[in-house]
Amino acid sequence: MTIENIAYRSLTEKCENGNCEKEIIYWINKDLTETRFSYGYFEKESNKIANVITRLEITKGDVVGIFLPRSPILINCFLGILKPQAISCVLFSTLGEDALLDRLGNSEARIVITKKSLVRKILAIKDQLPHLQYILVVDQDQHQNYFILSLNELLNDAGDSFEYEHFIDPETPAFLQYTSGSTGKPKGALHVHGAITDITQSFDEVMQLESEDRYWCTADPAWITGLSYGIIAPLSNMVTNYQFGGTYNAENWLKILKEKKITVWYTAPTALRMLMQEDESTFDLIKSNSLKRIYSVGEPLNPEIYHWGKRIFGVEVYDNWFQSETGSIMISNHPRLEVKPGSMGKPRKGIEAFILDDDDRVRPADEQGYLTLRQGWYSMFRTYYHNEPAYQEKFSGEYYITGDLAYKDADGYFWYVSRSDDVINTAGHLVGPFEVESALLEIEEIGDAAVIGVDDPLLHKKIVAFLVLQKGHSWDKALELKCRIYISNKVSTVATPSEFIVTDKIPKNQSGKILRRVLRAVYEGKDPGDLSTME
Amino acid sequence: MDITEKLTEVFQEVFDDDTLVLHNEMTADDVDEWDSLSHVNLMIAIEIAFEIEFNQSEIQNFANVGELMESIKTKLSDQE
Repeated sequence: MTIENIAYRSLTEKCENGNCEKEIIYWINKDLTETRFSYGYFEKESNKIANVITRLEITKGDVVGIFLPRSPILINCFLGILKPQAISCVLFSTLGEDALLDRLGNSEARIVITKKSLVRKILAIKDQLPHLQYILVVDQDQHQNYFILSLNELLNDAGDSFEYEHFIDPETPAFLQYTSGSTGKPKGALHVHGAITDITQSFDEVMQLESEDRYWCTADPAWITGLSYGIIAPLSNMVTNYQFGGTYNAENWLKILKEKKITVWYTAPTALRMLMQEDESTFDLIKSNSLKRIYSVGEPLNPEIYHWGKRIFGVEVYDNWFQSETGSIMISNHPRLEVKPGSMGKPRKGIEAFILDDDDRVRPADEQGYLTLRQGWYSMFRTYYHNEPAYQEKFSGEYYITGDLAYKDADGYFWYVSRSDDVINTAGHLVGPFEVESALLEIEEIGDAAVIGVDDPLLHKKIVAFLVLQKGHSWDKALELKCRIYISNKVSTVATPSEFIVTDKIPKNQSGKILRRVLRAVYEGKDPGDLSTME
Repeated sequence: MDITEKLTEVFQEVFDDDTLVLHNEMTADDVDEWDSLSHVNLMIAIEIAFEIEFNQSEIQNFANVGELMESIKTKLSDQE
């Protein structure tokens, strides 16, 4: 059995079917001007990228990193990498050096495509990346040396046609999506070309778009949502797809919704909560709009935001749930299902979800347990790249253990409760405490550190760091700034703690594991419970 | 050291980029790492460097570097 290469389904097939001139991505620049791109543009430009990387001896199974902010060239690179069956790895452009090293090191990327202002981050760690052969810079006109090459100069010599296998083994690796765990380094969830089946079917089933719809997904392509539902699904399903190259700004976002007549908007609860902080008069701008539906993903959509969104925008807000590992939407609300505010909805067709106890027995209705999925769908990750043991730990028999706690009500709706591990979901980003603690411990004034996630009205969970200072140092605003900047630049801005608490000791058990439940209880002023295992 | 030089140093430290050059029209869209979270770092760094304080609405409402620079100048002259 073969399946379409994702790039074939997204681009080449469309051109073969006479849609080369069809404008499909409407790119909104930072100044809100609009540039339209056709299938033919992406087909030719991604062919050039494919020619460039194959000339640099990238072949099937090699990893190519894309370390760029969202942009049309990112899309060209992603699809150009898939054509020769290399593996794409899109990385957030806000990642710091340590986070970048973890991901590029684990993936053994041979090439990284980036922009001039980000090259310094790669150079800072290049000595620890033995597999990295080239940095291709998108906004540099001439090669700098044998290692730092101008992508433009390479593209000048690259043809705009590229012969590749359109129908391939569905198990062919396609892209890596890095995600944080509660322990250890970030893990690269490996997805295969066969994922296209679930990505496109789920898009149809959940979004239910029609030919006249104008769709806007606000997610960055470094996030699984941005890749699956910002690039692959809308291109494959021929949906008029708006993309915004700027960052969050309430006025700009509302202008886009209004002026571009967006009909279906896919965003995140944190974005809605940020909008919720605006003065109500701000929304006069969009009193009459073209919106038909809003979708939300990344964190739980609590009833307060749901009702606010429905009132302000005058349309239904559909929450849905999936993960980097699942590749496509697993549980969802949608127009054919009555919404229960605060619920994740129901599993989509073909997906079997369960709430299990510690012994893999199904919990009764309304009782909390581990949210698990019966394995076997197409877009399920195939391994954690170069970390098979961690992958195996995610399964119990035929069940994939999601790491989330939830319950299912008597009507079959699923309700998110919390993470079952220590991973912190802040503004839709999963942050592993280990990454933040490791970076904090690199600061000379810090003797010990532990981080936890606590409830936050804007971010869902905010990161709180408990610190033990080295002798002779005291806490002040300058040291706080040092910690904040260090985490921002070494790990990521999203991993920066919102709050720092200096303490005498970090509670740990006898084997040295941080007792985060004790820290959470201390923070919330609650009883820390059984402390018999404490060191 | 004038305000522009000092502010440039602050930006370079916060965003860990010695090549950053400020101009009045520069906004968060022009610096890859400048998001709402690193903006808090930037404001704290400016407060420490210039020994001034911003209120919440000021922190959220600077449209560009030019406005930020003007605000710093005003606060410094108020202190004199």
